[in-house]
Amino acid sequence: MRFLSAAPRLVFTLIAGFMADGGAASSNGTANSVPQHGSTFKITAPATSIAGGDLFVDLADKEPPTLKRPGSVHEFYFTRAIYGSGLASRWTPSWATDYPKADLQFLIGLKRLTNVDAYDFENAIELDDPTLRRFPFLYALEVGYMGLTDAEVNGLSNYLLAGGFLMIDDFWGTWQWQNFEMEMQRVLPGMPIVDLPMDHPIFSMFYNIDEIVQVPNVGLGKAGGPTWEYDGYHPAVRGIFGDDGRLLVAINWNTDLGDAWEWADDPFYPLAFSTYAYEMGINIILYAMTH
Amino acid sequence: MCVGLEQVLGGVGSVITFTDGLPMGQSIFEFLFKYRPVVFERGDFTFLAPWTGLVVALVLVVLAVPTVFQYLRVKGKSSFSDRLILSGFRATVLGLVLFSLFRPILVLSTVVPQRNFVGVLLDDTQSMRIADADGAPRGQFITDEFSPGTDNLLSALSERFLVRVFRFSSSTGRAEDASELSFAGGRSDVAQALDHARQQLSSVPLAGLVLVSDGADNSYKSIDETILALQAGSIPVHTIGLGQRTYDKDIELTRVETPRRVLNGTSLAVDLMVMNRGFAGRTVALQVEDAGRIVNTQDVTLGGDGEAVPVRVIFTVTEPGPRVFKFIIPEQAGELVAENNVQQALIVVEDRRQKVLYFEGEPRHELAFIQRAVKEDKNLQLVTLIRTADNKFWRGGISDPDELIAGFPTTREELFTYQGLVLGSIEASYFTYDQLRMISDFVSERGGGLLILGGRQGFAEGGYSGTPVEDVLPVVLKDPVDPEFFTSVSLEITPAGNRHPVTQLGVDPEHITPWGDLPPVTVINPISDIKPGATTLLRGTGGRGADQVVLAAHRFGRGNAMALTVHDSWIWQMSAEVPLEDQTHETFWSQMLRWLVSGVADRVEAFPSADRVPPGEAVELVAEVEDESYLRVNNTDVEVTVRSPSGDETVTNMEWTIDRDGEYRASFVPTEAGLYEIRVSAVTDGERVESKVSYVESTDLTREYYESEMRASLLERVSEETGGGFYSAADAQNLVEDIQYTDSGTTVVEERDLWDMPVIFLLVLMLMSTEWGYRRFRGLV
Repeated sequence: MRFLSAAPRLVFTLIAGFMADGGAASSNGTANSVPQHGSTFKITAPATSIAGGDLFVDLADKEPPTLKRPGSVHEFYFTRAIYGSGLASRWTPSWATDYPKADLQFLIGLKRLTNVDAYDFENAIELDDPTLRRFPFLYALEVGYMGLTDAEVNGLSNYLLAGGFLMIDDFWGTWQWQNFEMEMQRVLPGMPIVDLPMDHPIFSMFYNIDEIVQVPNVGLGKAGGPTWEYDGYHPAVRGIFGDDGRLLVAINWNTDLGDAWEWADDPFYPLAFSTYAYEMGINIILYAMTH
Repeated sequence: MCVGLEQVLGGVGSVITFTDGLPMGQSIFEFLFKYRPVVFERGDFTFLAPWTGLVVALVLVVLAVPTVFQYLRVKGKSSFSDRLILSGFRATVLGLVLFSLFRPILVLSTVVPQRNFVGVLLDDTQSMRIADADGAPRGQFITDEFSPGTDNLLSALSERFLVRVFRFSSSTGRAEDASELSFAGGRSDVAQALDHARQQLSSVPLAGLVLVSDGADNSYKSIDETILALQAGSIPVHTIGLGQRTYDKDIELTRVETPRRVLNGTSLAVDLMVMNRGFAGRTVALQVEDAGRIVNTQDVTLGGDGEAVPVRVIFTVTEPGPRVFKFIIPEQAGELVAENNVQQALIVVEDRRQKVLYFEGEPRHELAFIQRAVKEDKNLQLVTLIRTADNKFWRGGISDPDELIAGFPTTREELFTYQGLVLGSIEASYFTYDQLRMISDFVSERGGGLLILGGRQGFAEGGYSGTPVEDVLPVVLKDPVDPEFFTSVSLEITPAGNRHPVTQLGVDPEHITPWGDLPPVTVINPISDIKPGATTLLRGTGGRGADQVVLAAHRFGRGNAMALTVHDSWIWQMSAEVPLEDQTHETFWSQMLRWLVSGVADRVEAFPSADRVPPGEAVELVAEVEDESYLRVNNTDVEVTVRSPSGDETVTNMEWTIDRDGEYRASFVPTEAGLYEIRVSAVTDGERVESKVSYVESTDLTREYYESEMRASLLERVSEETGGGFYSAADAQNLVEDIQYTDSGTTVVEERDLWDMPVIFLLVLMLMSTEWGYRRFRGLV
């Protein structure tokens, strides 16, 4: 998927700074601002940003709140984890894959289909930023290339143990799994990764999901060919539970929910995949907010 | 010419005689005036000479005119002022002589010997064992003076009266003399003792009652009606006060306040009052014992001398069942009474799950974090209902698949199965008016606990102004603000919050962050005022506008209502500023939900009049019976089963009190020492419903050692308002004479001459000597 989606993302990346911050953004990318708990906001993270393609002109016109124009406070922020390692392409870091179109497009569905009072815009934060602890839901993807620094390990570990929830998406095959598993052992030592059974509430939280679907990247999905990448033939939803039995991490392996969100507006992208991706994403978010 | 001399001399007599510890004053008075002050108090003054006042005046004029004329005629060495002074001396002497010649007397009633009764009430309680009478116990005076003998008060009284002796504690009975007393009574009831003696002696000529006690009445009944009855019967009560008015050295745990029932695992904050004499400012240890096991020890700094200071001790109850907790300050060197260093409380620790319904109008992190905070609490069942989408709900923590299947309860029966209710961000318009009324009734009638949380759809912003739920809230709602409004506030605990079981977080200080150090939280419902009678527990400062009422509570009808106006208390758990191992959030929410459900009544409830009583003391039982909708049920079949410590069960029907809906009464008298179990069952809605088990501990109490200094104020009031006298042990012998001057009983009128009072002779002598001395001084002789 990375390679197939790299070209359009590159274009978006180049224009991102101008779209998101009125052209004032530095080469670091979008000044991604979120309301902090106070009357002031803080620039939380540098990020490559995409304001949307042709079908998302409306979104592009919606400027995120800035220091000068604070927005209201919301119950939910779709927060994306920024980690310093891994590249999805020559220009795009792994964490920013599908960013922010997937986030924005998913938020539209989340707000329309549920009662969640969600912030309209993307929200990406570094793992070692203390501000991360103000957002109890965290999304991370392409973790097959992830190589966390000690500070990031510490930040993520404390985040999860303090009550945060991590949703993992879009990584494929055996060696990416092994890399991810190794990193998670640094974050949550001694906590095993287990398959979530189909009777787990996460599969019935909002939508009843009977089957774990392998969601292909946009290229494979539109081509109608095989849905897997590398040797990731079978999709899985796994989890890491804390000592108190709480689900800390929900892992979507050998599947790419983010691409399905991102390309849900494409008439050539199969509806079944987008539908499942939205259902699974909503279920996971509602589960995190209610358990 | 008869005047009440007590009006003239009573004041003098009181000063001289009734000042405790001044028998010398009494002796001087009696020497000068021939009689004891009481004679002047009780007697009426008059002259026995048959001449009228006019005759007296004429005689005085006849005598005075020639005298003055003679003085004016004499032209000696004396000046006018000399003559004036000398005339004054001479006239005064003349007046005194005339006063005596007119035979002044006191007319007073005295009892006829052996024709009148005197009731003697002897204190037979444990406080008589306190050795504060020069090292001897107080009861020693009673034993010495009221046992058979020839030279004591009893014998002296018996010479003039028919004496009837009563012993009293919580009840009163006849005794022959003090030898029958054991000083084992657990409670003093002075009013009841006086009433009993008055009634027992109502058919005989009664000269008065003698009350021998320390006055440390701990029945806490009003004595007003007793005094009125004594006044109506013209029965003087003479009181003899025993014991010290103030101790030199003593520490007393005067009071302990605990709930009757708590959930197992609750962190209890118990308030005690500690009073001291002679240990001002000293730091002493206070320990809490649960069945002999020390569960907490903390240092207490005592207040000033005689000052009672409040002390809060916090401990966690971990053993279910009826538990007797003991609060102890070890005996200090020199303490007079060690028994009052202990307080005990019977607390029923319940190991059952109380249900709290938490309804959210939208998915919120707040809900998840609250759930996690109380997840390990085995005594709380948090049932969650979340509107995840329009007309779509998610239920959590339910007991059966049908629970809340149709969303928020629509009937009282369904809603009232819960003990607590939490409303999150849910707009008022979601509910029907009946549901809003039902929520109000849930608190006011069912006695449940309601908590309203801040949120987009909470308080005024949720449209609750003008609804029945607004009435329940402890805060004042104003016009809703802009939906975009938000501000952050730092927390500040109020003095009331420091004492409240929800916000008192001091159980585990190592893992608790003080309120002021917690990270700021967000407010989107600005609220700055509370209702009259409500209490602010947490305040928010530093935000936009006025200070925010963050947490407020009040009593509403039978239940409690609380408002938590912030929308993200989960920050206290999640923030990077709070250590991972910190338990503030968990503790707060556990205490919050436990407080919501604490004291929430079941459909059938039993209320004993006391938790701990001495054997033989009656226990009144009140039961309240309600139907499934928690409406009072009258005139139904209610019975109480009392199980004694030895296992004997007694079943008694409880009678509807008629004057109060759903209230039934019965009583029983525990005879064995130990725990009595009380179960009330009632027929309601066609089924027999049983109450929770209540307990009464029957044990020898040590109430007599509390507030045991002589309560002279009570004894003085009784004697003063009934026409009797107050005596200390030292001057009690005067009682025998004083008691005979009374209008009660069979009396005769006596006249007591006053003309031969030594004070008159001494005055005449003094005046004449002074006159002579003056003449010598002025050279007139």
